[in-house]
Amino acid sequence: MTVSNVKVKLPGASEIAKAVRSGNLSAREHVECLLADIAERNPALNCFTEIMSERARREADAVDAKVAMGKNPGPLAGVPFGVKDNYDIASRVTLAGSIVNRDRPPASRDAVLVERLTAAGAVLVGTQNMDELAYGFTTENAHYGNTHNPHDPKRSAGGSSGGSAAAVAAGLCQFALGTDTNGSIRVPSSFCGVFGLKPTFGRLPRSGTFPFVHDLDHLGPFARSAADLALVYDAVQGHDAADLACAGFPRCPTSSSLGSFHARNVGVLGGWFHDLADEQGRDAAARVGAALSASDVITLPGAERARAAAFVLTCTSGGNLHAEKLRTHAHEFDPATRDRLLAGLLLPANAVLQAQRQRTLFREEVMAAFAECDLLVAPATPCSAPLLGQATMEIAGKTLPARPNIGLLTQPLSFIGVPIVTVPVHNGPMPIGVQLIAPPWREDLALQAAAKLEREGIVASMDNARC
Amino acid sequence: MTVSEEQLRALEVVAGIEIAPEHRPGVTRNLDVLMAQAALLFDPPLDPVVEPAPVFNP
Repeated sequence: MTVSNVKVKLPGASEIAKAVRSGNLSAREHVECLLADIAERNPALNCFTEIMSERARREADAVDAKVAMGKNPGPLAGVPFGVKDNYDIASRVTLAGSIVNRDRPPASRDAVLVERLTAAGAVLVGTQNMDELAYGFTTENAHYGNTHNPHDPKRSAGGSSGGSAAAVAAGLCQFALGTDTNGSIRVPSSFCGVFGLKPTFGRLPRSGTFPFVHDLDHLGPFARSAADLALVYDAVQGHDAADLACAGFPRCPTSSSLGSFHARNVGVLGGWFHDLADEQGRDAAARVGAALSASDVITLPGAERARAAAFVLTCTSGGNLHAEKLRTHAHEFDPATRDRLLAGLLLPANAVLQAQRQRTLFREEVMAAFAECDLLVAPATPCSAPLLGQATMEIAGKTLPARPNIGLLTQPLSFIGVPIVTVPVHNGPMPIGVQLIAPPWREDLALQAAAKLEREGIVASMDNARC
Repeated sequence: MTVSEEQLRALEVVAGIEIAPEHRPGVTRNLDVLMAQAALLFDPPLDPVVEPAPVFNP
């Protein structure tokens, strides 16, 4: 599918909410249309782990009732969304794509971000498939099946938030929430051709989500436009004391400033981020860089060590988190997850501490780059979506195992927590994502750049929505 | 470098875990990959003043 296949865009979240608020669109009718579409198309795509029809109808009715009473139902009134399977939903056991979590108690309340979206009038339609325990880049799940890429069902949707990205790409929800530890928002955004935001580490509270790596886990949204991404991000911002890493910053709304983009200088990342991308990824980054008037090529010599450190912290922290289950229920893990977590459990602490010290050095290196540039640009993935089950991939002339290496270009950056918007470029048979990397706490800048690129037709989501 | 069965047994003792026979080849393979990545972190040696860092301080 090429750029010529991009359909005329259907209304975004703000237009849907406006129509609902004005009484021109019934939230209930809109969600019924979507539920019917999910029932028809989800069996082939396997985006959802649970479709919450009754809850969706109840929430949509509550929105319509507010409209009828002349009350404001919120900025996301009647807008349907989904969440990755590792978000708490009241009365539901948070499985996080596993079966080892099935004996945990049901959640007593929704995750904080879900509560905030519900308060804003959004309507939850279901939980979405993921790699087991968020440890993977392909959403090939031994327990709940593979999620298929809506643009080519033989191909991966990316992971670990693959169900969420695929559902947004397919139009089975207006937006979705995922998590990103090593690239789990940015990789599926790239493969499914949607917009994704991984905010600064500590920006959004993770309260009520099942953790993977405590000091690398981020939450963030997927959407089919920069405007929708900003609208959702604005609705979920704000401190929550239950997440110890959540910064005590006031909310920084971004939606109203999407029309402007002012950067002193934009740099395209070279070296590691150029050499490990294929021609399509390099071309996509070059197109985005040119549209943003990028003038510098920036090299980060520590990228390989940063990736290695993220790799080590992920294995060891995951092993630590699941140590008890690995001792008693190892056979219940997906084999690919289990063997990596067990290996992490065995690695000496010396390597873990060294990885944390490397983080200091790489942070300094990236902050030095931001002294020269306001925004950095890099491909999100080494290639576009691989086939489901594909064992190896060619990277920089070498044949490497596919699944662990899909995150080569995302891992060094989430390792130091900088905010990144992934934007979809259509310059090949499948879309590919480009990372817009901003300094800490400057999500607004990355979103403004994404909106500018979208206005100029450099990036776009292919709209498959029917409702 | 390939982790030997003897080394794997020693690591199991330290970690307080017993790995099932059918899981040992996969764990060994992943431990090899992990140790290769960890080796990158020690070359060159770090200055003693470099501290472990949690990400950004707001």
